[in-house]
Amino acid sequence: MAGRSTSAQPLQLDWATVQKYAIRAFGFTILAIVLWRVITVGLAEGYPASFWISQALNGLVLGGVYALVALGYTLVYGILFMINFAHGEVMMIGGIAGFFALQFAQARGWMEGPWLVVVIALLSIMLIGMAASVLIGVTLERLAYRPLRQAPRLVPLISAIGASLFLQYSVLLIFGVSPHSYRKPELISGGLRLGDVFIPYTGAIIFFTSILLMLALYFIIQRTKLGRAMRAVAEDRATASLMGVDVNAVIVLTFMLGSALAGAAGVMLGFHNTVVKFNSGFIPGLKAFTAAVLGGIGNIPGAMFGALLLGLIEALGPSALGIPTEYKDVIAFTLLVLILIFRPSGLFGEVLSEKKA
Amino acid sequence: MPKSIKTGLIAFAFLSYLILVGLPGRTGGNALPLLAFAAALFFWYRLRRESRTQSRLVPQSGAAGQAKPGWEIGHGPQAQVQTGAVTRGGFPLRVLTQGAAAGATAGLLIAIVSAVFAEILGNGVAIQPVFDKIVPVNVAALLGVSPGAVAEAQVPPLRYLISALYFTGGGILAALAVLAGMTDAARAAGPTQWRSRLSGPAFTSAGRWLVIALPFALLAVVIWLGLPGVSLFGNDRSTVRLLFTLIATGSGLFALRAATPGRERLAVSVLIGLGVLCMPFVLDQFQNSVMGIVFIFVMMGLGLNIVVGYAGLLDLGYVAFFAIGAYTYAFVSAPFSSPYISGLLTGLGVPADSPLLGYWMALPLAMITAAFGGILLGIPVLRLRGDYLAIVTLGFGEIIRLFMLNLGELTNGPRGILEIAQPDLFGLAPEAVSGGLLSSQGWIFLLALVSSAAIAFVAIRLNDSRLGRAWIAMQEDEDVAQATGVHLVRTKLLAFAIGATFAGLAGQLYAARQINIFPENFSLFVSIDALALIIVGGIGSPAGIVLGALALKGLPEVLRGVDEYRIVAFAALLVIMMIVRPAGILPSARRRFEAAAEEAGAGEIAPEADETFVKKQENDKGTGADGEKGAMP
Repeated sequence: MAGRSTSAQPLQLDWATVQKYAIRAFGFTILAIVLWRVITVGLAEGYPASFWISQALNGLVLGGVYALVALGYTLVYGILFMINFAHGEVMMIGGIAGFFALQFAQARGWMEGPWLVVVIALLSIMLIGMAASVLIGVTLERLAYRPLRQAPRLVPLISAIGASLFLQYSVLLIFGVSPHSYRKPELISGGLRLGDVFIPYTGAIIFFTSILLMLALYFIIQRTKLGRAMRAVAEDRATASLMGVDVNAVIVLTFMLGSALAGAAGVMLGFHNTVVKFNSGFIPGLKAFTAAVLGGIGNIPGAMFGALLLGLIEALGPSALGIPTEYKDVIAFTLLVLILIFRPSGLFGEVLSEKKA
Repeated sequence: MPKSIKTGLIAFAFLSYLILVGLPGRTGGNALPLLAFAAALFFWYRLRRESRTQSRLVPQSGAAGQAKPGWEIGHGPQAQVQTGAVTRGGFPLRVLTQGAAAGATAGLLIAIVSAVFAEILGNGVAIQPVFDKIVPVNVAALLGVSPGAVAEAQVPPLRYLISALYFTGGGILAALAVLAGMTDAARAAGPTQWRSRLSGPAFTSAGRWLVIALPFALLAVVIWLGLPGVSLFGNDRSTVRLLFTLIATGSGLFALRAATPGRERLAVSVLIGLGVLCMPFVLDQFQNSVMGIVFIFVMMGLGLNIVVGYAGLLDLGYVAFFAIGAYTYAFVSAPFSSPYISGLLTGLGVPADSPLLGYWMALPLAMITAAFGGILLGIPVLRLRGDYLAIVTLGFGEIIRLFMLNLGELTNGPRGILEIAQPDLFGLAPEAVSGGLLSSQGWIFLLALVSSAAIAFVAIRLNDSRLGRAWIAMQEDEDVAQATGVHLVRTKLLAFAIGATFAGLAGQLYAARQINIFPENFSLFVSIDALALIIVGGIGSPAGIVLGALALKGLPEVLRGVDEYRIVAFAALLVIMMIVRPAGILPSARRRFEAAAEEAGAGEIAPEADETFVKKQENDKGTGADGEKGAMP
C-alpha cells in the first residue's frame, strides 16, 4: 500500500492537494498583480525619494499607535481566546480623558510654561488617559465578559459588540457629537527638517513612546512574576490555577495592561489626528486587530511588527498602487482578508501556545 | 463591605450614568419617581437573588429540599422550599433593612452629587464644555425644582433630603416586592415559571383563550383608532395607533404559541394571517411605513438567521448583500443616474431616462446577484471559524460600503441613486387597483408581509430538511459534522447563498421603499440591527425574529422623543441578553431545551461568586478546548 502510493505520488491528485495548490496559485497571482501595479503605476508616477521617506515615517508613527492597541487584542486573546471587540473604544475613552486633562492644563497655562512643566503635564495627561482606559477596561471585563467566561464563543463576542456600541454612544450622549480638538503645546508643535524630509516632533515622540511602552510590556511579560503567571494562564488555565496562579487576578491584570497601552495610544492618536470623538476608536481598533492577526494573534512581538508593517502599508499603499487615499481602509481590510485566507496563523505564527493554531 | 451597601453603590453608578446622559431633563417633572423606580427594579433583582441564596442556606428537611435537575428549575417543590425558608423568623426584617440600606446609600450619594452640581451651577460656573448634559435643567429635574432656582442657587436644603428619601423608598418598595413574591408559592418561582407558562402548552384554558383572543381585540382597537372622529391623547393618536399595531402583531406570536398544535393552531394562524393582511389597508401612511421597515428587517433577520442561527456562522457583513440587492434594483429601475451605467446602456441602444426592468422582473435578478455575492464572499472565508469569520465579514461589509462611496462612476458615490421605480401590480399602480384603499407605503408593507411569510416558510422548511440538519450539525461541531458525512464546503456556501438571497430580496424592497438610496443607508449598523433583532428575539426562531424586529425597529418609532437613547439601549440590551438570556425572548425549541438542560446542570450558581471558581475551572477546560479548534484548521 505504502509503496504504491510513493510510486504513484507524482500522479496522485486528491482534492485537498488541488485545493492547496489552487489557493497558492491564487495567492501568487494576487501578489504578482500587486507587484506589477506597484512597478508600472506607483514607481512610474515619479514621486521624489523624500516623499516616500516621509510617507514611510508617517506610517511608522501610525504603526506604533496601532501596535499599542494591537497588543491589547493579542494579550486578551492569548488568555481568554476572545476578541475584545470594544478595545478600540477603550482607546477612544483614553483619548477623551486625555483631551479633558489637556484642556485643564491649558486653562492653567501649564502648556506655555518652562519645558519641564510641559513635559510633566504631558506625561500626566497620558497617565490620566491610561487611568481612564484602565477603569473602563476593567469594568468591561467585570460586567460584560466575566459572566460569560464559560459560554460558547459567539456569546462573549456579541456581548463585546454590544459593549463597543454602548461605550461609543454613551460618549456621544455625554460629551456630544462634535469632535474635541487637541491643541498641541508650542514646545512640540514644530518639527525637524532633514533635507526634504520633515519630521514633526509629535511623530517622533509618539513613535519613541510607543517603542518604550512596548519594551516595558515585553519586560513585564518576560521578566516579572506577573508575566510568568500570564504566560502560564495563556498556556493552560486549569494547570496554572493548580500551580497557585490566581487566574481571575491575572485576567484582570491582563485587561489592565492592555487597556493602559490603549489609553496611551488614545492620547497619542489624539495628538496625531488632532481630534477625538465618539467613534474615533472604531476604525483604529479594527486596524489594530488586523495588525494583531497579521502578526499572529496571541503573539506579542508579532503584534508589534504586524502593526508597524500595517502602518507602512497603509501609508505607502495608496501612492504605490496609484489609487486614491480614500481606499486606504480598503487596503487594510483586504489585507486582513488575504492574510486570513493564505496564512491564517499570521506572519509569525502563534507562539504563545501552539495548541491554539 | 455589606452586600446592601455594595448594591447601593452599584445603583448609584447606574443612576449617575442615566443622569450623565441627560435622562432627567428629558422626563420633565417625573424624573425623580422614574429614577427611583428604575433603582427599585434593580434593588428588587439584587435582593431577590440574595434572598434566594440565603433561603437556600437554611437547612431543609425532607425530599422537597433537593432541587431536582429537570427542565423547569424553580418549579413545584423548590417553590415550596423557598416558602418554608421565608417564613422563618428574622428573614423579612433582614430583607427590609437590606433594601432600605441600599436605597439610602444610593439616594444619599445622588443627593450629595446633585448638591455639589447645584452649588457649582448656582455660582455660575459653566461645566458645560466638560459634561454636555450637566445643565441646570437636568439637575433641577433631579431635585424637583425649577431650572431657575438652580441657576440662582435657590435650592432649599430639604429638597436634597427628599430626593434621597425617594431612593430609600424605592429600596423599601423593592424589599416588600421581594417579600410578597417569596411568600406566595405560585409567584416564588419568578419569571422563569411565567415564561415557561407563556411559551409552553401548560396553560390554563381560560388564560390560553385570553392570549389567543388578545391580538384580535387589539386589532379591533387599531381599526377603531383609525376611524374618523376618534380622538385619543390629543394629537398623538397616530403614534398610539402605531404602538397598538406593534403590540397586536407581537401578541399574535404569543397567541400562535398558546394554541395547541394541530387544527387549533392552524385555525389561529389563518385568522392571525388574515388579520395581519388587512393591516396595510387600515393603517395610514406613517404607520404603514414603520411596519414596512419592520417587516423588511424581518426578511433580513430570517436570512441572517439561516447564516447565524442555523449554520452558526457569525456574519457581521450581512449588510453587503442587502446593499447588493438594493443597488441591483436601483441600477435597473432608476433613470440611469450613474454615468457608467447610463453610458453603457445608451451604448447598447436603450433610451435614457427609462427604467430597464420593473420590480417583478428585477426580483430574480436581485436574488441571483445577491446569492452570487454570498458565494463570492463565502469562498474566501470557508476556512475561517468563529471570531475570525466575524471580523472578516465585518471587513467585507465595510469594503462594499467604501466601494459604493468611492466608485462614483458606478454607484454615483455619496449622491446616491435617485428615483427608483415603485413596485407595480400587473403593470398598474397599486393605489389605482385598490381604489385608494392601499397607500404606497401600505403596498410596500403588504409586499414585505408576503415576502416575509414566503421567506419564513422556506426557512422553516429548510430547517427541517436534510440541509437544515447538516447546518445544525456543522454549528455544533464542524469536525464531527464532516466526519459524519456533511459536505462542509457545499453546506457553508449554501447557507451564505440562501441567506444572501433573502437579504437581496429585502434590499430590493428597501430600495423601492426609500425611492432614493445612498451609501450611508448601508452602514455597519444595518448588520448590527439585524443581528441584534435575531439575538433579542431568539436565534433560530422565526417567531422570535418577528418579535425582535417589532421591538427593535418598531418601538423606537413610537419613542421618537428618546430616539438618541436608542442605540445605547440596544447595546446595553445586547450585553444583558447575552448574560441573562442568551437564547432570546422567544427561543427556538432546540435552544430552549439546551438552555433548560444547561440550567439544570449548572444550577443557580451566581457566575461571579468566588467560591464557584473551582467549578469554573472545570468548565474553563472546555473553553480552552474550544479555543483549540476555534481558530484555524
